[in-house]
Amino acid sequence: MGLKEYIAKRVLYSVILIFAVLTVNFLIFAMMPGDPLRAYMARVEVHTNKAQYEMLRHQLGLDKALHERYVDYIVKMLTWNFGNGMIGGGQAVVDQIMQRLPNTLILMGLAAVFSIIAGVLVGVLVAHKRGGWFDTATVTGSLVTYSVPIFFIGWLMIFFFCVQLKWFPLGGIQPRAWFRNPPTNIIEFLAGRISCLVLPTFTLFLFSVGGWILLSRACVLETITEDYVVTARAKGLKERTVLYKHVLKNASLPLITSVAMTFGFLISGAIITETLFSYNGMGLLVWDALRGGPAPDLPVLQAIFYVIALCVIVANFVADLLYGVIDPRIKYG
Amino acid sequence: MATRKARMSFAVKRFKGFWNQFSKSKRGVAGVVIIVFFSILAVFAPLIAPYAPIDPVKDAGKYPGTTTPPKIAERLCSPAWYKYLPWIPRGPTQVEQSFWTNVTEHGGISFVVFGDLESGALAEMKDGIPKATFDEYRQNATEHYMRLNRAATEPPQLEIIFPNGTHKQTEIQEDMWDSRSPAAVGGIYGTSGYASMRSFINDLYEDLGQDLVYVAFKVRYQYSRDITENMELVPDFQFASEETFNNEWDWATLTGSADLRYNNVEGVDNDGCIEITYDPKAGEEESTIVLSKQFKYPYWEPPLSFWGHVSVRVQGKPVELTITMQKEGAKPVAIIELLREASTSYYHRTIYTYEDAVMEASGSLTPEKIILPSPGNYTFAIEAVFTGKDKTTVYLDDFNLLTYGNTFGLLGTDNAASSAYPRDIFSTLVYGTQVSLIVGVLSAIFSTVIGLFLGLVSGYVGGITDEVIMRIADLFLVLPTLPLFIILIVALKVVYGAGAVSMWNIIIVLTLFGWMGFARSVRSMVLSLRERPFIEAAKAAGAGKFYIINRHVLPNVFALVYITLATSVPGAIITEASLSWLGLGDPRLASWGKLLYDFQSSGVAVTRGLTEYWFWMFPACIAIAVLATAFILMGYALDEILNPRLRMRR
Repeated sequence: MGLKEYIAKRVLYSVILIFAVLTVNFLIFAMMPGDPLRAYMARVEVHTNKAQYEMLRHQLGLDKALHERYVDYIVKMLTWNFGNGMIGGGQAVVDQIMQRLPNTLILMGLAAVFSIIAGVLVGVLVAHKRGGWFDTATVTGSLVTYSVPIFFIGWLMIFFFCVQLKWFPLGGIQPRAWFRNPPTNIIEFLAGRISCLVLPTFTLFLFSVGGWILLSRACVLETITEDYVVTARAKGLKERTVLYKHVLKNASLPLITSVAMTFGFLISGAIITETLFSYNGMGLLVWDALRGGPAPDLPVLQAIFYVIALCVIVANFVADLLYGVIDPRIKYG
Repeated sequence: MATRKARMSFAVKRFKGFWNQFSKSKRGVAGVVIIVFFSILAVFAPLIAPYAPIDPVKDAGKYPGTTTPPKIAERLCSPAWYKYLPWIPRGPTQVEQSFWTNVTEHGGISFVVFGDLESGALAEMKDGIPKATFDEYRQNATEHYMRLNRAATEPPQLEIIFPNGTHKQTEIQEDMWDSRSPAAVGGIYGTSGYASMRSFINDLYEDLGQDLVYVAFKVRYQYSRDITENMELVPDFQFASEETFNNEWDWATLTGSADLRYNNVEGVDNDGCIEITYDPKAGEEESTIVLSKQFKYPYWEPPLSFWGHVSVRVQGKPVELTITMQKEGAKPVAIIELLREASTSYYHRTIYTYEDAVMEASGSLTPEKIILPSPGNYTFAIEAVFTGKDKTTVYLDDFNLLTYGNTFGLLGTDNAASSAYPRDIFSTLVYGTQVSLIVGVLSAIFSTVIGLFLGLVSGYVGGITDEVIMRIADLFLVLPTLPLFIILIVALKVVYGAGAVSMWNIIIVLTLFGWMGFARSVRSMVLSLRERPFIEAAKAAGAGKFYIINRHVLPNVFALVYITLATSVPGAIITEASLSWLGLGDPRLASWGKLLYDFQSSGVAVTRGLTEYWFWMFPACIAIAVLATAFILMGYALDEILNPRLRMRR
């Protein structure tokens, strides 16, 4: 199987995944027992009448047959036509999502990059000195951070760095003073944005770094006893060279798979982190959709889910490609 | 029989051997100890927790005629052991507080605005108060804001500082500040001081004849702080024992011939009451009798509120009853005045702090501060005034007054919007163990069983079954779980209402999306096992698929089952907590996540909540973290024992 074929297969697989996500989304609505629209109207509005109900039903296309609705839904989603939500003053959901998506991606990207680098470096080091006090402490620490709920980490961050030390702003995506006098130069702008990014990023970092340390430690332990490592040592290579060139290279394959998976893992952390820090991203949008209106805004939540799933699928696709490029067994296997 | 015994002893031996290995791992033992601890908490929660987890009340059913029994404590109490902390201020202090207001911007709506003063706005200020001074004021204002909501014992003195630097001292008139909230010097919209404060500032504004943008206030007043506790003034409020009555109560006829005695047959449940009789002699027109009880109020701060109850039955002519509180050497303060006419059944009266009748009788908007202002000896009394020439009898029962202090229980009380009564946080925490353990363990078991089954089938059967199962697993693995869970539970909520979400929905959802990883690893293990010689031998011997799976494959995979069970509990616990934290949990259950959701949505600002009310959220957070960590540690220790490759080489 050549690389092209491999890519084609992955593309096909990703497309199927996207359709599966859309179908799941559609089914959640379609399989609701009773009449969700009726229940929804009863919850949201004080007085409803039949004419209003029929009009809404027609507007939403609920009077069509199931398969027509399915096609409609798929087309709508693929053309990014998510309609208008109740939150955000009736602003189009696409705009709301697109406004916030970059913020979330920056936050998650930074957290992912830092935690992967730190996690892998520490993991290799710890695996090398297996059984020592450093190993025990690091592994225990990782297990703890791995199992601590992220809102606890976030609250601790706020408590220490915002309330006690007052080093960073309490929340938001940019300093509050910017409402009155926006930054004039790029340095001020960057400094302001970064000061607001530090704590959420650090929270997400702590949330995910433990997993990375444990994973890379386990991967390295699997390869560190292989014959070629002994050979490399016998050749008289420096220990560092052996570790990072011979061991890590071969241990990195399962790590790359996990890089793709980490996106889905981080997003659940990001939803809570953003809510904690009022960081204006997808997570806060989820929170707004949950709490902003008289009833949870399900269509908005579904749109968010769709966009997030899309991001995850793309990330997976990219990781698969990387995997194909790096691992010769897949290319020629 | 013998084989069973042998089997038993073999099992015991195996377990002993395993435990020998396991106990070498300190982490694993720590995990097991913690899990056992929490399990005990969960099982014996009703015995350990002193109060109910939802809507706890004191003496439910003991006060007749009221649908709202007394709460166990006031909202947002600190833990009771705060009184042992030496650094908590107790006693009177002179307070000087500074805050600022922006007249031109907020002049129309409210004056005193606490919070951030933007640096840009400061720049607009004319040269006057230096920025540093103003910043300091602002800082003080935000920091002391809540503390000042407590009792102030003398009116504030105002010092107003204008932007140009001029000071003006003034005594603030009483109608300009609300004694309930001295921080709101005419400031909060809707209080009586609002209008007069506004005209007051306007006058100053005109006097100065300058463009007044910001005014900084300095307020000085006496103010005392203390740790107060709940008090029950009449422990034997049902008057069930004559001896207690004689020991605790005192009575005196002030005028006339009214008399009082203990009656052990009458009363609300015929369990004893107080009988006051007025049998006027010739020419007698009026009589007053007082039933009183002395007690010591030891705190420097008034209680946060009080709750009272009295049941009265009158035979004869109308009687005027007044419940009073009197500090030694001061005038008595009426708590409530009741005019009762004759009736055949008991009249039950519940007394609340801020009801109109109480505020009217005490002549204060904050009755609790008037009746128990400072430490000292007090007399709690009920006074009956009889008029006329007819014989009248009054039966008095269920007479009590509870005062609510600012400390309570092991971990204080909460201020949950979802609960009608403040809850004891410690009790809620103990009951929360049940939810976390049930959700965590059950969804781990279910998802592991499903994963094991699908993994075995997929690995051993192979072909199209394998393909379908694995593709579904891949799909589920890719889906970001938390957003998906949110959608599923919200869908449930939208259709059936908020009450529809139950713990079981969460368990089902967690199970549905928790089996994939394990199914995958079981499958890969089965795939490699399938090619081993011993399976081929079994096949050659004519064993069926089911037999091989059951006897040869399963035992080899089972080590993995234990590890996965242990390691997938924490994920379930944390996901459940996260969902509850987002307000998507079972609204009727006291779970840890719900506790944190209540904290998050209670309206208490996070910064204050984290410092002043740490006992509300930190214990629950720590409990979640510790329980989840315990399972992870146990799983990790199991992994090291059962996974020979990870075993320490010697």
